[in-house]
Amino acid sequence: MDIQFNAEQLALRDELRAYFAAMMTPELREECERDMGEGGGPLWREALRQMGKDGWIGVGWPEAWGGRGMSPLEQFIFVEEVMRAGYPFPFLTTESVGPILAEHGNEFIKREFVPKILAGEMLISIGYSEPGAGTDLASLKTSAVRDGDDWVINGQKMWTSLAHFCDYTWLACRTDPDAPKKHKGITMFLVPNSDPGWSCTPVTTLGGVRTNATFYDNIRVSDDYRVGELNSGWKLVTSQLNRERLSLINFGPSSLLFNEVVKWARTTALPKGGYVIDQPWVQQNLARCRADIECMKLIVYKQSWAMTEQTLDMADASAAKVFGSEAFIEVYRLLGEILGQSALRRDDEHGDALGRKIERLYRTSSIITFGGGTNEIQRDIISAAGLWMPRAAR
Amino acid sequence: MDFGFSEEQREVQALARQILSEQVTPEKLAAYDEYAAARFDEELWRQLLDAGLTNVALDESYGGMGFGFIELALVLEEAGRTIAPVPLVHHCVSAMMPLQQFAPEALKERVLPAAAAGSLLLTAALSETGNDNAAQPTAVVAAEHVEGVRLSGIKSAVPYAQEAGAILVAAQLDESVCVVLLETGAAGVSMSPVEYTTFEPHADVTLDNVLVPAANIVMREGGEAVMHWLVERTTAALCAHQLGAADYAMRTAASYTSEREQFGVPVATFQAVGHRMADCYIDIECLRLTTYQAVSLLGAGVDASTELDIAKIWAGDCGHRVSYATQHVHGGTGIDRDYPLWRYCLWLRHNEMALGGSSVHLAALGQRLAAGEGLFA
Repeated sequence: MDIQFNAEQLALRDELRAYFAAMMTPELREECERDMGEGGGPLWREALRQMGKDGWIGVGWPEAWGGRGMSPLEQFIFVEEVMRAGYPFPFLTTESVGPILAEHGNEFIKREFVPKILAGEMLISIGYSEPGAGTDLASLKTSAVRDGDDWVINGQKMWTSLAHFCDYTWLACRTDPDAPKKHKGITMFLVPNSDPGWSCTPVTTLGGVRTNATFYDNIRVSDDYRVGELNSGWKLVTSQLNRERLSLINFGPSSLLFNEVVKWARTTALPKGGYVIDQPWVQQNLARCRADIECMKLIVYKQSWAMTEQTLDMADASAAKVFGSEAFIEVYRLLGEILGQSALRRDDEHGDALGRKIERLYRTSSIITFGGGTNEIQRDIISAAGLWMPRAAR
Repeated sequence: MDFGFSEEQREVQALARQILSEQVTPEKLAAYDEYAAARFDEELWRQLLDAGLTNVALDESYGGMGFGFIELALVLEEAGRTIAPVPLVHHCVSAMMPLQQFAPEALKERVLPAAAAGSLLLTAALSETGNDNAAQPTAVVAAEHVEGVRLSGIKSAVPYAQEAGAILVAAQLDESVCVVLLETGAAGVSMSPVEYTTFEPHADVTLDNVLVPAANIVMREGGEAVMHWLVERTTAALCAHQLGAADYAMRTAASYTSEREQFGVPVATFQAVGHRMADCYIDIECLRLTTYQAVSLLGAGVDASTELDIAKIWAGDCGHRVSYATQHVHGGTGIDRDYPLWRYCLWLRHNEMALGGSSVHLAALGQRLAAGEGLFA
């Protein structure tokens, strides 16, 4: 047991930190800010392609998939650093759907999609939820019907985030409406967002972040675009969601924000003398945040290690998601209390963007306790898979 | 980075789990309730000594196994899982480890082999009335003497004081702190038993001008460092013990609620119950990771003050929440003394409060942050 990075991993972290410091030009940073921390702009795309050229996107992928052959731990270090740098990295494509395609895709997918993902030239949105299928995802109705060698797809998806600038959607479709268990009649497809039958309308959210409703009107794709076996899509969905849940918990940006707030509190004078940090309640808030973010860090380190050892546990992935999502919100709240009124301002009161950053994070973080699978479902998974407790019939 | 255990670590863990789970039973533990007998299973202690488990962190030259603190913490986790009635934390962590680290060679050679063989039981005095800071004693004062030092004052609630042959004691000596190994049979030592929440034996130790010979002085001045070092390790040991106890309590509650039926179904199928247990699972995972991190850093001999504060904060919060939740989902059964869970509640709360609860460690961590230390890399 040794819960610290080794010398090579620390060197990789430093190399990446320097790389991203150079990459994040003021122009790129401004574009990312404008896009509400989602990306999609021209400079953002150029930076992604450059990361691809420099071999970073698949640093921890096996060489057989076109990666650099390091372990998931190195991949994790890369993602932490790119997020820490403030670049909205398209982790759903690269960390979540990408590895599933590399592992389960047919020869066509492995040839046409995987290399482009690694090159930073392919972005994929995720089409699971529907107006009538949220937490009960397996009741989804978007259909794929066989027609000769092709499939014809019809339906509607909700919360298809990033779809307005992605190239394809990773789409869960019903292929057997008569399956005795509804999750056994689902198949996965890759559907081009450029198809004339594809359309999307924006949904604006509390956090200011755009998401989408997407519509699929008689979209025809060949069987090459099917991923995995017919009617076996559910296990790809759950396996993708496990990866997504891990990707949602990035401690990198939080640890940086924490350090910035400590620095601010140590250097900001109080009207009657002394500094903000001299107040015991401020120290208490900071200590609580420090302890929570440390746990986040250890949980994601352990999961990356478990992925390397191929012992990733479903209950632990759900535990990471529940703890991380709830701790993020608590951390933003406690840090916001320290910043005081400036944590309510959408402009930049102190010229260091700190209050504004926390205002936005505290507001946008509402999504994470239900995004990627509600925390209630995660707790169900933990008690069933982690503690072998029987589950209620649904 | 490696969250796994080495082969030796797995062996130590398996051996400890086997002996402790076979030997510690609710029936045996019941014999110590209400101080009906001193909570010390000497037969089990002998087995642990013979198996080498008390001596995993002791150098081979003194009769130990020559492993480190990580291996010892794994034994303590198993002791917590069974809430074993043996003085592992006090003898091994609070006394043997600091002696090995700081005592003069002659003292080590005299006491460590005896402690390893089981002929000498050791403990440490870490509290005084109104003073929880073991490194800054005020109630026990030392005076220079031609043959050593003389000690006077009272150490409160010393664990296993009446069973032990020697106690590690810190005393104020002029402006500094002197640490000695006090033999309990020395003239001027008297003890009066005190009752603890866990029924573990404790006694107030009164020292009336007790002469401690020079050969028993661990550090004549600057002993704060010794006490600080041992308090850190003892704190980590409490975290490891807490981890085992909390994990056992959680698994007991998970099994019980899976069997217990109300409204014709197991109560575990109610989401309100399942989710409470899921929260225990998350709390315990956090305690596990922060404890292993602190233990492995201490084992490597590097500064772990921030990581240790964080582990103890979790030991406090997790202990409180898990003890309460596991009792609660059991209903009345959880507090029935014919069912084993209630003793775990005592231990979870003991480990929560001992050597500082969560607020104490949050305050310490907050002060460190205010000084610009303990930030993220």
